[in-house]
Amino acid sequence: MSGNDGYYKALWPRSPRQSKVKPLAKRLDTLAGKTVAQVWDQVFRGDEVFAFLEEGLKARFPGVKFVSWREFGNTHGSEEREVVAALPGKLKSFGADAVVSGMGC
Amino acid sequence: MVCEGFLPLAKAASVGLGMPNLPVARVIGHPGVQSKEQLRKNALEVTLQQVIDNLLKPPQAVKGDSEPGPRDVVVKGGFDEVNDYFYRNELSDGLPIVPPTVEKVERFLRFTDRDPDESLGSLLPDSRAATIWSIAVNGVMAGCRPEYMPVLVALIEAMADHGYGVEHSGNTPGGETLIVVNGPIIRQLGFNYTQGVMRDGFMPNTAIGRFWRLYLRNVAGFLPHKNDKATFGNTWRVVVAENEDVARKIGWPTTSADFGFGPEDSTVMISRHTGGNHISSVSGATAADLMPYICDALVRQYSWQIMFTVGQGMGTLRPQLLLSPIIAETIAGSGWSKADLRRHLFEHARLPAHQFERILRDWTQKPTWNLKEEHEAGRIPEVFHVSDDPNRMVPLVWKPEDILITVTGDLARNSIYIFAHNGVLGFPTAKRIVLPKRWEELLSRK
Repeated sequence: MSGNDGYYKALWPRSPRQSKVKPLAKRLDTLAGKTVAQVWDQVFRGDEVFAFLEEGLKARFPGVKFVSWREFGNTHGSEEREVVAALPGKLKSFGADAVVSGMGC
Repeated sequence: MVCEGFLPLAKAASVGLGMPNLPVARVIGHPGVQSKEQLRKNALEVTLQQVIDNLLKPPQAVKGDSEPGPRDVVVKGGFDEVNDYFYRNELSDGLPIVPPTVEKVERFLRFTDRDPDESLGSLLPDSRAATIWSIAVNGVMAGCRPEYMPVLVALIEAMADHGYGVEHSGNTPGGETLIVVNGPIIRQLGFNYTQGVMRDGFMPNTAIGRFWRLYLRNVAGFLPHKNDKATFGNTWRVVVAENEDVARKIGWPTTSADFGFGPEDSTVMISRHTGGNHISSVSGATAADLMPYICDALVRQYSWQIMFTVGQGMGTLRPQLLLSPIIAETIAGSGWSKADLRRHLFEHARLPAHQFERILRDWTQKPTWNLKEEHEAGRIPEVFHVSDDPNRMVPLVWKPEDILITVTGDLARNSIYIFAHNGVLGFPTAKRIVLPKRWEELLSRK
């Protein structure tokens, strides 16, 4: 106790996290011949950045293929919940081996 | 892919999502201020290799972190010691908090019939349970009185409603939530609904406004420099209560009635706004006299936010106006209903189509900006493309009902306030305030 400063037993103001640590997908051995899906929130020039990445990946990994962000819809905006909920099914149907998502800006 | 200024946010958000080792590839600087050549160079020289590494190299192993339990005492000591601890551990907003003790929390819990462990939902980005207990704890900290508890619960129900979009509360524009209170609770708790309605100094308006921001920090997880990435930010807003006497007198539905509630219901309505402006000395003896200034002022509050009209938000822009009582009375005195006012604002608060498109296309580089193309694809209403004339006037919203109007403020002054809405990233959401069965008795004993 410190003078007129009172004495308090103060509680933790947060609450338990509902999310548990999830394992990430196994990484690939190579991108050669693999299918990479592009997922975009349709802001900050992601369309251009994805095009540059395609160029760079094709130069280094023969046979790498891409599923355009146009196939998945906008992951940020009025339809984001529906778009994100549909992603697992769409990724499976396109045979995606890997996903690159952007733009966190 | 994450811009380098957003890497701390990505790290914080990954923890809340249960993927603390989610790999991110760095985007140099911000694409918004780079030439095509710079963007290409940065993408190929930096981002590309990180994308490759992230897809091919095993991510780092992680283990779950341990935290206190919800009823754990985290610090014992005097007022200053408690406050030092809460500030050091990012559990307060920088102002002194009321130490949340079990005794104080239990006083709050008497004002709800709900189980303290009940969760109203999981709040992103931290994915924490919005428990009744945590509402009481943060209510104590904010300086609320125990009898405010039903309002606090209704607010967190609204925060947890997916339609509101709390997960976006740390976005760049740093918008703050406007809380509008309606119903008998206004008088029961003594909310200010007249002069200075948005000014601190009235305990329920002020303390409940502070509670909202504390809960966003402590439970949803919006901490500046982490999950809260507001470029500039705003301070939390004092709660606004409507002047229902005036609304009733002029025969206009209240804000809560606009959301389908009855006059016996006490309610909260939340919506998030990036800013706003006081429009002073709105002058004229009739509605027609007042409208040109009000319409012009409404258009002036909106710039990039029209991306929530056409683009990212598609029809989710909801401008909110506060009308001082004598302005509402003057408009109603011309025989106008609230619906008439909305219709007029929809038809006259407009901007040229070429300006609308220029803001989205040239100034903010949004991918959706072509009104003709969007209309022909059936994605926006015809009102945005009645002709190909670039000087045609287009509205700010899709329909008159999208404009929200509340009567409040100084009884003797002819002013309005217009908020700039953040669209789907803080969409208007209203909830009924559920009172405990022994409400009257508890109130009389407080």
